[in-house]
Amino acid sequence: MLLKFSLYACALLVLVSALSVPVFLLHASMPFWQAAGISSIWGREWYPYEHLYGLLPAITGTLWSIFIALLIAIPCGICAAITASELLPRHLAEKARIGMEVLAGIPSIVYGLIGLWVLLPFLQAVFDMLTGHSLLAAGLMLSLMILPTIMLMSMDALQQVTREQREAGQSLGLDWSTQLTRVLMPQAWPGMRSGILLALGRALGETMAVMLVVGSLDRLPQPFYNILQPAQTLTSRIGREIGEAAFGSIHFSALMAAGLMLAMMGLTISLLGKR
Amino acid sequence: MNLNRSLPCTPMESGANKIVSAQPSLCLCNVSLQLDGHAILGEISLHMPQTGITALIGPSGAGKSTLLRCINRLHDGWQGSIELGGQSVRETDVDSLRRQIGLIAQKPAVFPCSIRDNVIFGLPNQQRKSVSDESIRQVLEQAALWREVETRLNDDADTLSVGQQQRLCLARALMLEPSFLLLDEPTSALDPRSRDMIEHSLQSIASQIPLLWVTHDLEQAKRISERVIFICDGRLIEQADASDFFSRPERMESREFLRWNVCDCD
Ligand SMILES: Nc1ncnc2c1ncn2[C@@H]1O[C@H](COP(=O)(O)OP(=O)(O)O)[C@@H](O)[C@H]1O
Ligand SMILES: [Mg+2]
Repeated sequence: MLLKFSLYACALLVLVSALSVPVFLLHASMPFWQAAGISSIWGREWYPYEHLYGLLPAITGTLWSIFIALLIAIPCGICAAITASELLPRHLAEKARIGMEVLAGIPSIVYGLIGLWVLLPFLQAVFDMLTGHSLLAAGLMLSLMILPTIMLMSMDALQQVTREQREAGQSLGLDWSTQLTRVLMPQAWPGMRSGILLALGRALGETMAVMLVVGSLDRLPQPFYNILQPAQTLTSRIGREIGEAAFGSIHFSALMAAGLMLAMMGLTISLLGKR
Repeated sequence: MNLNRSLPCTPMESGANKIVSAQPSLCLCNVSLQLDGHAILGEISLHMPQTGITALIGPSGAGKSTLLRCINRLHDGWQGSIELGGQSVRETDVDSLRRQIGLIAQKPAVFPCSIRDNVIFGLPNQQRKSVSDESIRQVLEQAALWREVETRLNDDADTLSVGQQQRLCLARALMLEPSFLLLDEPTSALDPRSRDMIEHSLQSIASQIPLLWVTHDLEQAKRISERVIFICDGRLIEQADASDFFSRPERMESREFLRWNVCDCD
């Protein structure tokens, strides 16, 4: 009786805290929505001193950087996982796994520093850019950071396919590539997808590393696919300015609104992942 | 003691010196296998007729499953020679070898797709698209499953009971028109009714192709088999016609096994 009661109590606690996040964000950003209006979501200018709080460049920057990160990390991570779990000998696969676990455990600021030191000069040299700060830099940075998650979860998913299933496929005389595409992948895919969603969540919320390489310039890419330009993301906007904004000011409230946008993007991702 | 070293690798009966058939369908000669440094199979030589059911019996851990897995090369590290239809399995491409040899495992492993897709799972891509409903019906009938799934071919295969799944695995193997079937205790996880259905359908299949059927159930072996191969502790003890084996086994180990279901072969 007591046990069941405490279980319900815990579940209720989780539910309340989950619901309180958007409610709290909505409440904190209310002054901003009232002052600047919903139209600032697609406003292009962000000058707090002139009361311009356009969120579009940061939203675009966030979407672009995630997109680049996934575009690189999903195929690389899944292919590496297939290689490690299906082709490499067991002991090498375990070494690869340990390596990835180490990479996954490195704090993001360290990635940011490495990005500053290696990635920016590299991009600067290759694309003849001013500094290397760009959406591409942020995307590459993020892809490196989420690669371990995708690879580890994909390896786990592949290794969950039972020996019986594998041997059933082999006994039918399926060759290796058919076995991969028709036996292994269909069964490992749900696990891989969870890995991708987890990684997506991390990429969405990543602040420090992105802040150091993205350039923090509020401009829409010109033309829209120009990822070599410095830009802004929602997280780096919040991280950079929350210290300067006076508590309770419109500026402060606008940053809360940026937080709300992030939370909603995260929610959308989870909902998409459910299907 | 090694009983098999003196056995000739020709289709000769070990005791009675009578010829089983002009050409054996399967012929093993001195097959040995070590896994992780342990000898699992020791110099097994045996042969099988062109059709009919051969029961492979022996206590659990004797190496029966391992022997089947050597034949379709899921284990590939064995020494000796295995010939199927006169050709060494080592010289055949491993994928086409496995298409020739159907293997039914102890635990049915259906794939997470529809019943229909499971039946045609082993076919190459083009054939999967062009396969006729009639041929799907035929193999399902052969596997004694048609009447139960007739109306629900597009349902998920894992909605079937274990017994039905096992028959689905059989249909899936038959779809490839194998020239040989290996069965690893195919009925040990099943209820008596499913067991009877599988036994019945396999007996009619056995009139066309040879079946090597692992079972630990001596009653079943008596019911179904024409020949018996008895192995214990990775070694062949006796191979004989079923009627001879069950009425007057030659070796002491066989007599013990028939009486007490234990084997002490060292
Ligand atoms: N992959 C393996 N590695 C090492 N030993 C194995 C392996 N597979 C089976 N064995 C051993 O081989 C012996 C025979 O196993 P198995 O062929 O499954 O017996 P049976 O099917 O007759 O019950 C057992 O002692 C088992 O422990
Ligand atoms: Mg076994």
